[in-house]
Amino acid sequence: MKTLELLYPEYCNIFGESYNAEYLSRCNSEIKVISTDNTSVPAFVKDDVDMIYLGCSPERKQEQIIELLKPHRERISELIDKGTIVLATGNAIEIFGREIKDGDRVIPALGIFDFTSVRYMEEDRHNSQYVGLFKAKDGTEITMLGHRSQFSFAYGDFDEPFIDIEIGIGMNPDTKREGLYRNNFFATYSLGPYLIMNPLFTKYLLRLLGLDDTLLFEKEIIEAYEYRRDELRRNLG
Amino acid sequence: MLRFYIALWASKFVDALLRLKGETRDDWPGLLAFKLCPDFLAKVKKPDLVITITGTNGKTTTTSLVAGKLIEAGLKVSYNDWGANLHAGYCLNLMRGVNIFNKCKIDVSILEADEKTLAKTMGMIEPDYILVTNVCKDSLRRNGHPEYIYDCINNAFKKLGSKTTAILNANDPISSTLAEGTGARRIFYGMADMGLHPYENIVKDITVCPVCGKPIEYDYRFYRHLGKFRCSDPKCSYRTPDADYYAETIDLDGRTTVIREKDGSVQTYPLISDTVFNVFNVVSAAATLRAVGQSREDIAEFLSRQKIPEIRETYKEFNGIRYYAFATKSQNVSAASTVFEYMANEPSNKNVVFCMDEVQDRNHPTETLTWIYETDYEALNSPNIKKIIVGGHMFLNHKLRLLLAGIPADKIVAVENDDEVPLHVDTEGIERVYVLYETDYVTKGQTWRDNIYKRAMELADKKGGEE
Repeated sequence: MKTLELLYPEYCNIFGESYNAEYLSRCNSEIKVISTDNTSVPAFVKDDVDMIYLGCSPERKQEQIIELLKPHRERISELIDKGTIVLATGNAIEIFGREIKDGDRVIPALGIFDFTSVRYMEEDRHNSQYVGLFKAKDGTEITMLGHRSQFSFAYGDFDEPFIDIEIGIGMNPDTKREGLYRNNFFATYSLGPYLIMNPLFTKYLLRLLGLDDTLLFEKEIIEAYEYRRDELRRNLG
Repeated sequence: MLRFYIALWASKFVDALLRLKGETRDDWPGLLAFKLCPDFLAKVKKPDLVITITGTNGKTTTTSLVAGKLIEAGLKVSYNDWGANLHAGYCLNLMRGVNIFNKCKIDVSILEADEKTLAKTMGMIEPDYILVTNVCKDSLRRNGHPEYIYDCINNAFKKLGSKTTAILNANDPISSTLAEGTGARRIFYGMADMGLHPYENIVKDITVCPVCGKPIEYDYRFYRHLGKFRCSDPKCSYRTPDADYYAETIDLDGRTTVIREKDGSVQTYPLISDTVFNVFNVVSAAATLRAVGQSREDIAEFLSRQKIPEIRETYKEFNGIRYYAFATKSQNVSAASTVFEYMANEPSNKNVVFCMDEVQDRNHPTETLTWIYETDYEALNSPNIKKIIVGGHMFLNHKLRLLLAGIPADKIVAVENDDEVPLHVDTEGIERVYVLYETDYVTKGQTWRDNIYKRAMELADKKGGEE
């Protein structure tokens, strides 16, 4: 049995994020999902879970999540160092940075990665899509698709990027480096059902979990992915 | 002030030219006024009564009902009946309400208002009443998430303070806390249990108490997060507020509702449709009209002659099958989920056709995927929905989502080419066909419906000829 901890779904399911955990668990019955809410101590604090997922949340909730996770900062670092699979999508990525700036306010974050996020709440929301390449340390290469819709950007060196952007922007409009990748920690600004949008990456995660990588409705999901990838390249490229 | 008058006159001149050409539904004169004078809204003279109607869902229908009633009451009303709900629309609306000397010539202005820009614009207009129908999940691209929209609306109340009165939906755990502590008078409308068993949404717009963070519980729900709610912590004060206008009886079959007011008086009002969201529209319109002094009897009489705007739902009938074109805002997740739920609950055997590409996304790179995984496709897994036909460039995504929702593969037809859609619609063994179309694509939706209807007639002709 493999354990997937879904963190704070009551906060982090605003764009269909929880479907990532649902889809993964429906692909393989060996995966058991544990949902941890804002009143509970995360399971990963005491036990070794196999995977942790944290999705996108409204800005006020994002700040509450930082407070909830702060006491466990060292444990999170330890899990990342020892190769636990962690996936963070949307603005959850900012939780792992140094701080978030919102006007005059500076919200200290977990500080596991060295970058700063800046919110632009008074400006129009940034919406864009991306096509990029994920090069795994084991040599696997996957074309990744993403959809970002956000009030903030992140600034830093990003020397551990998850994806090299081919079309679209990275952590901010001036970089092609997207996301964070350290051991088996993956984070991207792309939000919503990321594992549905990227079935080849989902297969990769299943293999990382040591499971058979057959997907639920594999033919249909790959077909949809390929159609979308080609459409994005055609329309954006 | 000179700048304002130049803007007013230029705007009036362009408006007159457009009217000569028969183009009354163009907010370009309003945009011109705004461009020439950015604080046009503050300077233009307002009528004695200004009502703003905002919220995620129900704005257009409610605005139309409130405006229609006030016009019937003999008042001179200015409102944009085509839903121009941004800056330019307000400028146009108010500009038409004054003469060239900025003297008001109307009694009432009704502004259907976009939630996101409310604080900036309403701070200048200072409406007497702001009705907020609800705050639900809307388009991800513009509106982000409900908490953000809540802040946008609440900032308007903070800015206006006691200058305005808030008319709020007591059954909405999000918007019912608006204007709290701002000095604005707050009027609530609410509804009694309708005995509904609404779908448990896969993505909820609010899950925890905004005061203490504990889960929210319901005595009953209507749809999505709307219902009689309270914080699960009995010590917490967060709960459905008492309604000043309370629909204590709702009879969908008989299409009536009885609304009790705070002083104990009751009135039966006709409903304009059998959908729960239209019950909310009627109750919110009645509450607003009562708040501005319209009589109960007159409102009831007016409502008895109303129906939902034709643009939203039209049908043609042939061979015992009704072919509907049914407005559905796809990327407005709450609206799409509610329509899907209605498709399942409306008892006829039917085919459902998706015509839901967003015009905005067509102009942008490619359509977003998120809304499909926020919307309750699971609700479509109902025995009375015999087939679901999907066309357009999102066909593979819809197909996958329908499969994941548990809908049997043999009920799903997904084709890329729109023209093929009518070929797959059943012409017998069903009672209704619903073409669910994007509200921005009225013509396209109705054309699809007409093509399906035409094909049914052609097939019947052919069959008749052969016999």
